[in-house]
Amino acid sequence: MTDPIDPQAPEAPEAPAGPYVYDYMAAPNRQVVLPKTVPLPSLRTYQAEVAAAAAADEAKWQKQLADFEVAKAKAEAEGKDAPKPPVRAVPRKDDNDLKTPWPTEAKDADLLKLQELLGGQVEEVFEQAGERVCQVKKEAILEALKVCRDEPSLKYEMLADQSATHYPAAKDFAFSIVYHLTSVSRSRRLRLRILVPEGFVPESACPLYPSANWMEREIYDMLGIRFANHPDMTRILCPEDWEGYPLRKEYPTVGLGQRDIDFRDDRGGVLNRLAMEKAGQMGINLKQPKAD
Amino acid sequence: MGVNSPTALEHVLITTKVEKVINWARASSVWPMTFGLACCAIEMMAAGASRFDFDRFGAGIFRATPRQSDLMIVAGTVTYKMAPVIKKLYDQMPEPKWVIAMGSCATAGGPFDSYHTIQGVDKVIPVDVFIPGCPPRPESLIYGFLKLQDKIMTSSIADRYKEIFEEVG
Repeated sequence: MTDPIDPQAPEAPEAPAGPYVYDYMAAPNRQVVLPKTVPLPSLRTYQAEVAAAAAADEAKWQKQLADFEVAKAKAEAEGKDAPKPPVRAVPRKDDNDLKTPWPTEAKDADLLKLQELLGGQVEEVFEQAGERVCQVKKEAILEALKVCRDEPSLKYEMLADQSATHYPAAKDFAFSIVYHLTSVSRSRRLRLRILVPEGFVPESACPLYPSANWMEREIYDMLGIRFANHPDMTRILCPEDWEGYPLRKEYPTVGLGQRDIDFRDDRGGVLNRLAMEKAGQMGINLKQPKAD
Repeated sequence: MGVNSPTALEHVLITTKVEKVINWARASSVWPMTFGLACCAIEMMAAGASRFDFDRFGAGIFRATPRQSDLMIVAGTVTYKMAPVIKKLYDQMPEPKWVIAMGSCATAGGPFDSYHTIQGVDKVIPVDVFIPGCPPRPESLIYGFLKLQDKIMTSSIADRYKEIFEEVG
């Protein structure tokens, strides 16, 4: 190898450019940074954070006091003036309007009623910014939805939205599924939430709320959560032959637009599968015999 | 009166090539397809409406079917799911046919270097004119269309079938 500082060194001829091909697998922006925190609003987490902050503040104050005692004893022994006693720092008053509203204890009658009816199935209830949130056990979501819909004092007739989020940093769950319920007759809203681990199959809300059909398909399409007893658990937004689940945090958002495009009519084999099913219902066996 | 002065016959006759006449006819009545994919389609509609008036150039008749159109203006983001549809529509258009990739999305993916966007419609179908802009103004589309007309006027019927002729030998 030649010395790179040597000006006499002949430069290595560059490789011929050739046909320009964008190497999307090596695109620099394609690297994924997974989040380290779990930004899931929760009363319990908020209370734990507040308690931890208070404990840290108290520990700091105790250390300041101990340091002062040591310094005082040292000054007395050396015959100097006593040091100034420490002053406990008052937390700065924060009047920022843009602060995130923190979760508070549930006082709303709906949430208390729900807690009373569901009992041990409720994991957490809280209010945040005037919105009612109830987190139930993941096996009991259908029961909770049924109570919300059928109980005369609740009467949440409409499932306005259903969505899910991926939390890769969480330890005991991977996804949160949120049900936004609306009561048209009482003009109120309620948010039900379940936390599911990877591979868990929650019950579909379709028997109770038909509007859950497409929303659950979208959740399956984007995050890969399958729902039990769903009438048609297929992809809704992506093509049928799609690989991976785009809204998962480990899915690269950049650099996947360059890919081979499949121009077949039946890209995911769905039409083929449907034809097979129809033929099977009519008693015709369309399947090709295996070679062996 | 010089040597080049027209004769009496040339006062009543115009001599030209058949190819040129055909090209002139083709360039003067390009029928685009009603095919908008995203926000660029709004500019395409504006170009077709009265203020910019695409009809001045013979391209005002937006056909609702690919089987009657000569020009496909790909106005907007081409997603991975849409790509086979575009290919199919292009295949349904009768020859001769032209394609304008309008806007940076159809040209090169635009801001969406993402999982769902084809990085330029030329990955799917051959493109004659690329128009940059996000979105391009109707003037840009008209300019691109004039360029396409130039291309049509300078094209030869043999060009399109050149490869076939070469294959045959």
